[in-house]
Amino acid sequence: MATSPAPPVVATRRVLVAGVGYRNLRDLSVGPLAIERFGPSTETIDVEDLSYGPIDVLFMLQRREPYAATIFIAAVHRDRPPGTVTRSRWTFPEIAPDALQERVAEAVTGVISVDNLLHICGHFGALPADVTVIEIEPTDDGWGEELSTEGQRALDSAVALARLEVARVLAS
Amino acid sequence: MCFKNLPVAFDENGKAYLKEGVANPYAVTGNTRVRTQEEKIRSLLAKNGHIKEVSIDPVTRVAGALAFHSVVNLQDRRVEDAHSMATLFRGYEIILKGRDPRDAIFISSRACGVCGGVHSNCAAEAIEMALGVAPPPMGVVVRNLGQAAEFLYDHPLHLFLLSGPDYSAAVLGATNPEILEKAQRTRAPGAAVHGYATIGDIMEALNPLTGRLYLEALEETRRAREMTVLVWAKYPHPQTIVPGGISATVTSQTLNEYQTRLAFFMDYSKKMIHIWDDVYDFLYEVEPRFHDVGKRPRNLIDLGIWEHHEGYDATYKNATAWGDRRWATPGVVIDGELLTTSLHTINAGLEEFVDHSYYTDWTATPPKFKTDELGNPLSPYHMWNKQTLPKPEGRSWREKYSWATSPRWDRQVVEAGAYARMWTTAASQKIPKNPYIETTGKSMKMVLPAASLPEMQVEWHIPAELNAIERNRARAYAQAYTTLVAFNNLLAAYDLMKQGNTAVSNEFSIPKDHRMGVGFWGAGRGFLSHHLELENGALLNYQICTPSTINASPRDPFGQSGPYEEAVMNTPIIEQFKSDEDFKGADILRTIRSFDPCMPCTTHVYAGTQTIVREVNTCACVLEEEGEPVPVGGD
Repeated sequence: MATSPAPPVVATRRVLVAGVGYRNLRDLSVGPLAIERFGPSTETIDVEDLSYGPIDVLFMLQRREPYAATIFIAAVHRDRPPGTVTRSRWTFPEIAPDALQERVAEAVTGVISVDNLLHICGHFGALPADVTVIEIEPTDDGWGEELSTEGQRALDSAVALARLEVARVLAS
Repeated sequence: MCFKNLPVAFDENGKAYLKEGVANPYAVTGNTRVRTQEEKIRSLLAKNGHIKEVSIDPVTRVAGALAFHSVVNLQDRRVEDAHSMATLFRGYEIILKGRDPRDAIFISSRACGVCGGVHSNCAAEAIEMALGVAPPPMGVVVRNLGQAAEFLYDHPLHLFLLSGPDYSAAVLGATNPEILEKAQRTRAPGAAVHGYATIGDIMEALNPLTGRLYLEALEETRRAREMTVLVWAKYPHPQTIVPGGISATVTSQTLNEYQTRLAFFMDYSKKMIHIWDDVYDFLYEVEPRFHDVGKRPRNLIDLGIWEHHEGYDATYKNATAWGDRRWATPGVVIDGELLTTSLHTINAGLEEFVDHSYYTDWTATPPKFKTDELGNPLSPYHMWNKQTLPKPEGRSWREKYSWATSPRWDRQVVEAGAYARMWTTAASQKIPKNPYIETTGKSMKMVLPAASLPEMQVEWHIPAELNAIERNRARAYAQAYTTLVAFNNLLAAYDLMKQGNTAVSNEFSIPKDHRMGVGFWGAGRGFLSHHLELENGALLNYQICTPSTINASPRDPFGQSGPYEEAVMNTPIIEQFKSDEDFKGADILRTIRSFDPCMPCTTHVYAGTQTIVREVNTCACVLEEEGEPVPVGGD
């Protein structure tokens, strides 16, 4: 298994748009809902639900031709105003080995988390240099299928942001 | 015969009955042990500066579901008190109420993020008992193949990715550099098999994220998962396990592809056994106090697993007979002695208490079932009588402090684990006759066929003590055992195919009358039961008891600590530290991790109006924001 954090060489300009999150947890399910809303995969855009253990995602990315860019959409509690949508660049931050090991332990025991996915796939060199994270701050994280009003509007914004990101990558 | 605390005896035909003259045979009398201990600890904390409260929260960080609180006497290097807390409510029992029984297979699978298939199988067997349908032989064999593959993922995961780092150079170098130094100078006896010249080399390879053994295990989890998917079509949370068999198509190509991958595990098992024997034998030698790390009485329980395809008929009446024909034999071990392998007797001794858990006791109303269908007595605290009545409240060590319950057998604290499975199987000598696994009553001898490495005979001995090291060591041997169970079932599948006996499922219908069922099964980390009651085609009651519920249990009404708690309180502090602040609790963690805690098994979803799993960590600092957050509706 590769351990180098160096991003893989890009062979073609293909983009991965991925949703990450648990289903049926209202606003926390924005990730998988967003990629349903985004539309189907095309020749240059892979649209996928990556709401799986991050080690499985790692294996999957390692098997594929490298992407030019990846865009992850997820809902995460970060104490922002409810419904906030943020678009951020993943900077491959270093974290302590102990902290990373804890994330691996969570990953192999089935926890689905965009943070864990980014740290683990980044550590093992499975992500391209261009990684965008679109997050929404959940309002309602209760059990159920319906989004809150803020969550619904944030979902629309997240999908729109993802489309802009894809256009940026493919145009560059 | 085997009951010491419950007033249960057996007639000349082996049928259990309640002894006469006992007015209230299942009475629970109060105790003062918890209160006295609590007062002693408060007094110690008040008087002594060197006694420190250590909270490890959470131990696994898995959904933040397990927290462990202990009081450590740093001067005397011992643990004074310990409490294991499941911090989240699971609630599957409530979710499943009123549902079609088939839903249980798919919903209960979500109880575990590592081993959902075990819940699917356990639920399927419980439903089969209620419905009166059993799978055809090939259906049984294919279930076994998938179940073995799931464990081939689980055992290395535990040994190399979760508990293994506790014995790595990185951890030992920080807590016990004197041990690491000796390790670097000590030749590894198994070098010819695993390729590491010294114990220190093995410990370097166990380093998290960078060690060769760690990375190899991470990679090989993929291979075991592929095997599971080959026979169950999807993993995690297989959709093909159904009452009466499986719904996946199995061809000779499927079996061939499974076999190709299984060959790898023949060699991997050889390596795993030699690696862990080398590390653990070395640790015992250089630091004898490792014998006491995680030590507790040799009291174990297991329900067995892997049906024999010619034995399983899914009836409760014959459960002891088909249980005895399994590839892993059920059993209860008390003080190191195997008391019984009878599933009926094991079932009759089960009780679940909630005195220190966030639930309301349900026994104010008379028990619905005083006996099972064969007349064996059942306690009001038995799973078939249990009701899940959540009652959240503040934490109090004296009163209630956990969402886990306290399952007990004959009111004794028993623990679950892969080692319990190996122990009961080795001691009972009932494993089906086969060319690769032989049980002697004191050990399990295994012949691992040649792959890249030559054929090798290995032997796991029932240990003289039960501690963290022996829990983990047995797990390494369990990999070989599991591989050989898979191989035996693969050969059975080829035979069945040759005979044209390829049907994998039988038809069933959902009855409208009252039915009962129980799944006696096991996870990678041991004991798993699903008890159900069915009426009008819907689930009236569904009770899941997982290995982590048993091991992480809080104190019971008799004042007895749960296995984690008891093992931690017996643990010496071997770790070196210069000051209180330097103390890392490595021996406590080593102890708890030896049980392979998987708290999503114990605690998960919340019922009622609130939520589930408060998700993992959030860490905004890792994101470099591109300007201001985008307002709702904007881009």
